[in-house]
Amino acid sequence: MLQPLIDLKNISKSFDGQIVLDDLSLTVKENTFVTLLGPSGCGKTTTLRIIGGFESPDKGQVLFDGQDITQIPPNRRQLNTVFQKYALFPHMNIAENIAFGLKIKGKSKSYIQDKIAYALKLVNLDGYENRSVDSLSGGQQQRIAIARAIVNEPRLLLLDEPLGALDLKLRQDMQYELIRLKNELGITFIYVTHDQEEALTMSDTIVVMNQGYIQQMGTPEQIYNEPENAFVADFIGESNIVDGLMLHDELVEIFGAKFACVDKGFGTKQPVDVVIRPEDIDLVEPENGTLIGTVTHLIFKGVHYEMEVTTDNGFEWLVHSTDMFPVGKKVGIHVDPFDIQIMNKPASEDEEAVGVNE
Amino acid sequence: MKTQNHSRLKRFFEDFYLVLVLIFLYAPIATMMVLSFNSSKSRTQWGGFTLDWYTSMFESASITTALYNTLLIAFLSAAIATLIGTLSALGISSMKKMPRTIMLGVNNIPILNSDIVTGISLMLAFLAFGISLGFKTILLAHITFNIPYVILSVMPKLKQTSKSTYEAALDLGASPIQAFFKVVFPDIMPGVLSGFLMAFTMSLDDFIITHFTRGAGINTLSTLIYSEVRRGIKPSMYALSTVIFVTVLALLLITNFSPDKQSKQMAALTPKQLQKKEKQERTRKVLLVTAAFFVIVSVCFSSYKYYLVSHSDELYVYNWGEYIDESVIEQFEEETSIHVVYDLFETNEEMYPVIEAGGVQYDAVCPSDYMIQKMAENGLLAEINFENIPNISYIGEEYLERSKSFDPQNLYSVPYSWGTVGILYNTKKLEEMGMEAPTKWSDLWDERYEGEILMQDSVRDAFMVALKALGYSMNTDDIGELQEAKDLLIAQKPLVQAYVVDQVRDKMIGGEAAIGVIYSGELLYIQEEVANLGLDYELAYVIPEEGTNIWLDSWVIPANAQNKENAEKWINFLCRPDIALKNFEYITYATPNTGAFELLDSETQNNQSVFPDISKLENCEVFQYLGEETDEVYNNLWKEIKAK
Amino acid sequence: MNKRLQKKYLACPYAIWMAGFIIIPLLMVVYYGLTNRSGAFTLNNVLAIASPEHFKALCLSLLLSLISTVLCLLIAYPLALILRRRNIGHGSFIVFIFILPMWMNFLLRTLAWQTLLEKNGVINGILNMLHLPNIAIINTPAAIVLGMVYNFLPFMVLPLYNVLAKIDDNILFAAKDLGADNIQTFIRIIFPLSIPGVISGITMVFIPALTTFVISNLLGGSKILLIGNVIEQEFTKGSNWNLGSGLSLVLMIFILLSMGLLAKYDKNGEGNAF
Repeated sequence: MLQPLIDLKNISKSFDGQIVLDDLSLTVKENTFVTLLGPSGCGKTTTLRIIGGFESPDKGQVLFDGQDITQIPPNRRQLNTVFQKYALFPHMNIAENIAFGLKIKGKSKSYIQDKIAYALKLVNLDGYENRSVDSLSGGQQQRIAIARAIVNEPRLLLLDEPLGALDLKLRQDMQYELIRLKNELGITFIYVTHDQEEALTMSDTIVVMNQGYIQQMGTPEQIYNEPENAFVADFIGESNIVDGLMLHDELVEIFGAKFACVDKGFGTKQPVDVVIRPEDIDLVEPENGTLIGTVTHLIFKGVHYEMEVTTDNGFEWLVHSTDMFPVGKKVGIHVDPFDIQIMNKPASEDEEAVGVNE
Repeated sequence: MKTQNHSRLKRFFEDFYLVLVLIFLYAPIATMMVLSFNSSKSRTQWGGFTLDWYTSMFESASITTALYNTLLIAFLSAAIATLIGTLSALGISSMKKMPRTIMLGVNNIPILNSDIVTGISLMLAFLAFGISLGFKTILLAHITFNIPYVILSVMPKLKQTSKSTYEAALDLGASPIQAFFKVVFPDIMPGVLSGFLMAFTMSLDDFIITHFTRGAGINTLSTLIYSEVRRGIKPSMYALSTVIFVTVLALLLITNFSPDKQSKQMAALTPKQLQKKEKQERTRKVLLVTAAFFVIVSVCFSSYKYYLVSHSDELYVYNWGEYIDESVIEQFEEETSIHVVYDLFETNEEMYPVIEAGGVQYDAVCPSDYMIQKMAENGLLAEINFENIPNISYIGEEYLERSKSFDPQNLYSVPYSWGTVGILYNTKKLEEMGMEAPTKWSDLWDERYEGEILMQDSVRDAFMVALKALGYSMNTDDIGELQEAKDLLIAQKPLVQAYVVDQVRDKMIGGEAAIGVIYSGELLYIQEEVANLGLDYELAYVIPEEGTNIWLDSWVIPANAQNKENAEKWINFLCRPDIALKNFEYITYATPNTGAFELLDSETQNNQSVFPDISKLENCEVFQYLGEETDEVYNNLWKEIKAK
Repeated sequence: MNKRLQKKYLACPYAIWMAGFIIIPLLMVVYYGLTNRSGAFTLNNVLAIASPEHFKALCLSLLLSLISTVLCLLIAYPLALILRRRNIGHGSFIVFIFILPMWMNFLLRTLAWQTLLEKNGVINGILNMLHLPNIAIINTPAAIVLGMVYNFLPFMVLPLYNVLAKIDDNILFAAKDLGADNIQTFIRIIFPLSIPGVISGITMVFIPALTTFVISNLLGGSKILLIGNVIEQEFTKGSNWNLGSGLSLVLMIFILLSMGLLAKYDKNGEGNAF
C-alpha cells in the first residue's frame, strides 16, 4: 500500500575510530510518522544527519524514492530539517526566515507572500511576519522553524529532538500540533527523540536504537507490550526485568516459583529474561500469591500507588496498584499469564542492553 | 568518491593558505633571529656566524636597563590595569544601561583612537599639569591604554557567569567578599588572565605612546631601538628580541596546551590516565608559578640594585644615540661616584623642545652647532666655568675658532666631535654604470643615478646640498634662494631612492645604492666593514668642490641644570685624551682632541676622509641658527618637498 | 538593591582615571588645536589641513590605509573561515599565533621587512636563485601598504574569527537544508552575520594605518609623507605643537566617524577582538 520513501542500506559510520552506526538498514514508508528513539549516543541523530546529507556514511547507501542520494549535497535533497535548537537566522525577521528556501528556489514574490501567510497560519502564528527572532519564545521559534521547513513542500521532514528545549506543557501542545500537521500535509516525518512518551504519543512506527544498532521496530503498542529484549523493555516505560528459567512452553520459573505464561518455543530449561510491567502485578493475600514479599516503600502517585515489594531473595519488585498496602505488610505476588513477557537473553555483547545513561 | 577528492583538494588549498599566512607573519621574525647570529652589523650582508651579540647584550648597560624598564613597565601597567579593569568591569556590569554605555564608550577611546593622538594628548596633559616626563608618565600612559583591553576580556566572562552562583554562595553562608573570591572570581579568571596577558603584550609592543610620554633617563626597548635607527641598530637588539621571543614561545607552549582541550578529553579517560593528566597539570602549574616567580624576583632584585646605586650625587646627560662608549660612563661613575642618568635623543629638533619645556632638567647635553646658537640666543644655556675644565687645553685651537661661528666668545660649548658631510659612492657600481666618480654636489642631479641616490632625511642637511650646488650659503635666509633650492630638491626627488638618516651606512655597505650623502664619521666603520666582509667593491668618500658643512657637536650645560659642577666634571672627563680616544674608537667620528689624535696610529691620522685639514677646506661653513621664522620657512619648504 | 549599589561603585576608580587620562588629555589637544602660540583662539591649525602638502598627505594616508584595510579584509576573511572550520580556535591557539609576533618588537619587525624587501634583500636573493624577476617595492607606497597589512592583520583576523566562531553550525546546515549552495550560504548567512566583526576589524586596521608614521618612515624611505609623519614632525622636529594638535583634531574626526560606525553595528560588543 505505502511505497518506501527512504531506504538505508547497510550504513556504517564512525567518528575518530568510534563506531556510531554499524551496518544499519532501515526502510521508512511514505506518509508515515517514524520516530528514532534511544539514549544519547545511540546513533539516532547521526542517522538523521546522514539522511539529511550533513554527514556522509563510511559505507552503505541512502535511497530516496528509489534513487541513490548518498553523494548528493543537502541543498539538492527534497527534504527539510527542523533542528534541535531551531537554527533560525538571527539577522532576518520571521518572514525572511520563512521565505529563505523559496527565495533560493527563485519563487515569485506573490507566491512567497502567500506561502508565508499560509505557513504562519498553519503554525498558529499569523501576524508575526515582521517580528525579530529574539522576540519569540522557544515554542514560537520552534513553530517558525517548522514553518520555514514546510513551506518548501518537502516530501520528507526530519526533526531532530525539536521539542527538547521546551517545558512540559508546551511540549505536549506541540506534540498535538505536529500530529495535526502531519495529517494535514501528508508528508513523511522522521522524528528523533530520547523521550519515550513523546515517541509513544506521536509515532506510527518507533525505531528503538542503542549503540548503533536497531533494537526493535514496530508500532507503539508492539514496542510497549512486546519488547523484544531487556533494553527495549527497560527503556520504554517502567518494568521489572528478572532472570527466569523457561521450564517448557508456557511455564517459567522465577526465583524458584513457577509462573504460567503464554510464550512458546523457547525450548526447555532455557535461561531467559522475563519482563513484567509494574501495573500487571496483582498484590494478593500471601497465601494466594506465587511469590511472597514485604512492602518496603509506598508513594501516592495520584492515579495509583507506587510500591516496592521485596521478596525473600532481596529483589525489589516495582508495583503500580490502585489498592494501597502499607509498608511492612506481607503480600503475595500474582501475575496473569498473558502479562508475562519472555525474551531471549542477548545473543552478543553488542546487543547487550546496557548503558541506559539517561 | 568525487566529493571526497573534492574535499581533499579543498583541504590542501586551505592548508596551503594557512602556511602562506604563517610565512607572512613569521618571515620577519625569522629574519631577525638569523641576523642575531650575523657577525656583521649590516642588515643586508652575512658576515659569518657568531654568538657575540648574545654576550654583548648582557654587557650593554643601555640594553639591560631598557629591558628592565620595558619589563617593569609592562608588568606594573598590566598588573595595575588588570586590577582596575577587573574591578570596573564588575562595576560596569551592574550599572544601568545609560551609564554603562557611556563608560564603555569612553573605554573604547584609547583602543580606537590612534596611538599618535593618544600619545600626544597624554604628553600635553602631563606637561600642562607640571608632571615631569619620565618613568611614571610612561607607566600612567601604559595603564591608560591597557585597562580597556582588560575590561574587554573580562566583560564577556562576566556575562557568562550566572548571577545565581553568586547568590547560591551567599545562600550557603559566604560573605559577599568570600562569595566573590570563591565563586565569581574563579569563573572570570580566564578572562582576567587573558586580559593581563593582552595588556602585558600591548605594553611591551608599544612604541608610539611611549615615544611621546617618556622623559629623563628612561628608555624602553622600543624607544632605544628607535633612537638606534639613526646610527644603525646594534645586533644585540636582535639577540635580545630572539631571547624574549623564544622564552615567550616556550612559556606559551607550556601553558597553552591546554586546559580547555583536556577537560573535553577528561570524560573519556580511564582513572589511570586521569591521574597522569592531573600530574601533567600539576607540572604545568609548577612551571607557571616558577616562571612568574623568576620574573618577580628578577624585577625585585634589579629594582633593589637600582636603589642601591642611586647616589645622592647625580648627573643627567642627554646625548645622541650610540654616541659614546658605554664603558666611559661606567668609568666616570667609578672615578667620581657620581651617578649618571643617561638619555638619548635622535635629532637636535627633538632635543630642543625637551630642554625648553624643562620637563627634565638635564645637566649636560650634546647638541650640534646651530642648535647651540639657538639655545644660547633663547637663554637656555649656562656659561661654562672653564676653571673646572683644565682639559680644554687638549682641544685643538682651530676647533675653538670654528666654534665661534655659533658661540662667538666660546662661553657655552666644548667641542666633542666633528666632521664633514660628503658623497659616498660605490666604485664598482659607478663603473658598471659607466660613470665618473662624483666631485661636486650637482653630480647628484645626474639622471643616470635614478633610484640610486640616498639623501639625508633632515631639513638643513638636504637644503645644504641644494644651496651649495647652487653656489649659495647654506645659512641663507633669502626666500628666493631657498625657493630655488626647494625646486632643485623637488627636481631631484624622482632620482632619490630614499631619504634616510643613518641607514646610508648600512645601505651603502649592502650595495643597495650607488651614491649617498653621508657624515664623514661613518667612514672608518664603513671601510673596516667592507674589508671584513670581503666585498667585491669599494666605497669612496669625496668632499664636493662647492664646499660643505663642517659640523661640530659640543657639550653644553643647560641654564636649568641642577648639577652644574658635576656636568663640568663630566665635560672635563670627556676631554681627557685617553677617554676621548676611547670614544673616538667607538663612535669613529673625528675628535677635536689633540691629545687623543696623537695617540692614534699614523694610518688613521693620515686618513683624509676622516681628518681632512680643517684649515684647507674651502667654502665650508658651520650651520648657524637662523631664527624661528626662517626655521619655519625651512620646515614648510621641506614639507612641500616631501609631499610632492 | 543595596548590593547592586555597592558593586556599581567598583567602577569609580576607573571613572576618575578616564576623566584624568582620557578626557582631559583629549581636551588638551582640542585646546592646543584651537589656539595659536600666544594662546589666542584660532581655527588656522585645523584649517591648515587644506594646505596643499597637508591635504596631499591626508589623501595619500586615506588611500594607503584604505587599500591596506581592504587587503587585510581579503586576507583575513578566508583565514578566519578556515580557522573556524578547522575549529582550531579552541585552546586559544589562534590568539596564540597572532599575538606571538607582537613579542618581537614592532620596530624590529618592520625593520626586518626592510631587510627582506631591499634591492639586495632576502626576497630578491631567493628570487635570483630561482631565476625569477626581482621585486622593487622598497621605498614605494607598496612597501608601506605591506607594512601596514603585516602589522595590522591580527586586528582584522581576531574580531572576524570571533564573530564567525559564534555562528552555530546548525544555522549553516539549515541554510543548506533549505536549498542554499555554498555561495548562497556565504552571501545570505555568513557574511551578514559577520558584519559586526567586519566593522570592528575595519576600524582596528583603518585607524592605526591612517595615523602611522613609523611604517612610512621605515619602509617608505621617508620619501612619502603621510599625515602621521606631518603630525609627528610638528611635535618632535618642527615644535609647532598647536599645528600638530590642530591636525590631530582633523584625524579625530575620522576616529569619531569609525567609533560611530562601530557603535551602530556592534551593539553587543560581540565583534571585539579580545
